[in-house]
Amino acid sequence: MVPRRLEGALFQSIGDAGRAELVERRLADAITGGLLRAGERLPSESELARTFGVAPATVRESLLGLRARGLVVTRRGRNGGSFVAEGADPISHARESLRTASRLSLRDLGAHYAAITAACVRLAARRAVPSEVQALRTRFDRLDEGDLEQWRRTLDDVQIELVALSQSARLTREQMRLQAEISPLLRLVDTVSEHRGTERALLLAVIDAVERGDAPGAVDATEQMVDAVIDALIAIQAQTA
Amino acid sequence: MVTTTHSTATRATEIVSEYFRAPISVLEEAAQVLGGQLAAAKGSGALTAAQLDLLVEPHAHAALALVEARVYGAGFIAAVDLLTGARNHLSWWQGDDRGKLVLAAQSVNKEFIDYSDFEWFRVPMMTGAPHVAGPHVDYLCSDEYTVTVAAPVHIDGDFVGVAGLDMLIDSVERQLLPRLSALGEPVTLVNGVGRVVLSTDAAHTTGDAVRGGRLAELERARCGGVELDIIVG
Repeated sequence: MVPRRLEGALFQSIGDAGRAELVERRLADAITGGLLRAGERLPSESELARTFGVAPATVRESLLGLRARGLVVTRRGRNGGSFVAEGADPISHARESLRTASRLSLRDLGAHYAAITAACVRLAARRAVPSEVQALRTRFDRLDEGDLEQWRRTLDDVQIELVALSQSARLTREQMRLQAEISPLLRLVDTVSEHRGTERALLLAVIDAVERGDAPGAVDATEQMVDAVIDALIAIQAQTA
Repeated sequence: MVTTTHSTATRATEIVSEYFRAPISVLEEAAQVLGGQLAAAKGSGALTAAQLDLLVEPHAHAALALVEARVYGAGFIAAVDLLTGARNHLSWWQGDDRGKLVLAAQSVNKEFIDYSDFEWFRVPMMTGAPHVAGPHVDYLCSDEYTVTVAAPVHIDGDFVGVAGLDMLIDSVERQLLPRLSALGEPVTLVNGVGRVVLSTDAAHTTGDAVRGGRLAELERARCGGVELDIIVG
């Protein structure tokens, strides 16, 4: 028997988006989020079909959609294939999605992100061993403010690695999903020097607390970090309105 | 009592060593053969990711076919400068359908990762010997809680990558726990840094560190051929 309070979730609409649309959305998110970069070659249609577990025809249909949206270009010939369009710029996509986001949705994204991250760092503080935290610091020390692409990539990597120290595969997968969602917006935050300093300092405070085995300290610094980031996004949104 | 515990520890280490013997030797064999194949391929021009995949796939399938130790994923991870036109190539097959890992579904920045940051890549690279790394959440390939076994591949003595395989801790638990439970005493398997891989005592949770607890005080017996320890008690 399904407990009553869960029934609501069980009988929620599944949505009627077709499989091609789902594939298109997955790829579009990767492109607008900067995971796939301008000029990068996509895997072949048959490789994509295998990865996503759909028919090649479904992949072709999704690529058609991506071409129509100007996110992908297809070249013929020996070195042909599908490539991320040169004009696909994650920052401008992020600006657009921030412009149209409500404050409520930004705060709620922050609440979700903070809840998952806090749960992870609480476990990490209990379970991480010193050599693992040291490896994390080495990566953290590579942060380079002169290259914002590298800056974001490094912070995302450190964040994922930090939560993986929880030893929970489920929580880490959830964090990866959320990180992919929030990372494009964080690129906007990264453009402001003051915000970069704050995020760096608070993430370092989380790492320090995990190393000390201080679970409450890690949770506290995580919540401060997420609050600071969401405040920054709302400030940016207000400035550009 | 001391003798019983001692013999339990010995038998437990033998069970664990025996369990990991097949995956380690399948990788040593693959690493050896692949080294020769890569040398030949490189000798006749630049090596592409597609050529590499063709060479690696049979080795990956051999590892995935093991029954003594269930393997979830297997393949080859190239050092950064091996391939032409692909910086960080994962030649990897995994899952029930043994599908090729192409584009990670939900991830951030996987293709920019420096593999030498990872124990399963770094240790075989530094020591020249196979290594069992983890348990860890493998956010590169399986997105599951795994141990990764890896053996270095060389071309004329130069390190060019690792042949590797992932075993889900879930599978390791299913396969090893009954054998260790049959020994009749509480047995805990921990890795080199003191993390619980599995325990016949439900009070010790997989993933926890033994640091600071009762187990930290007890003697550890090293399993032959793998950097894993048995604690009895």
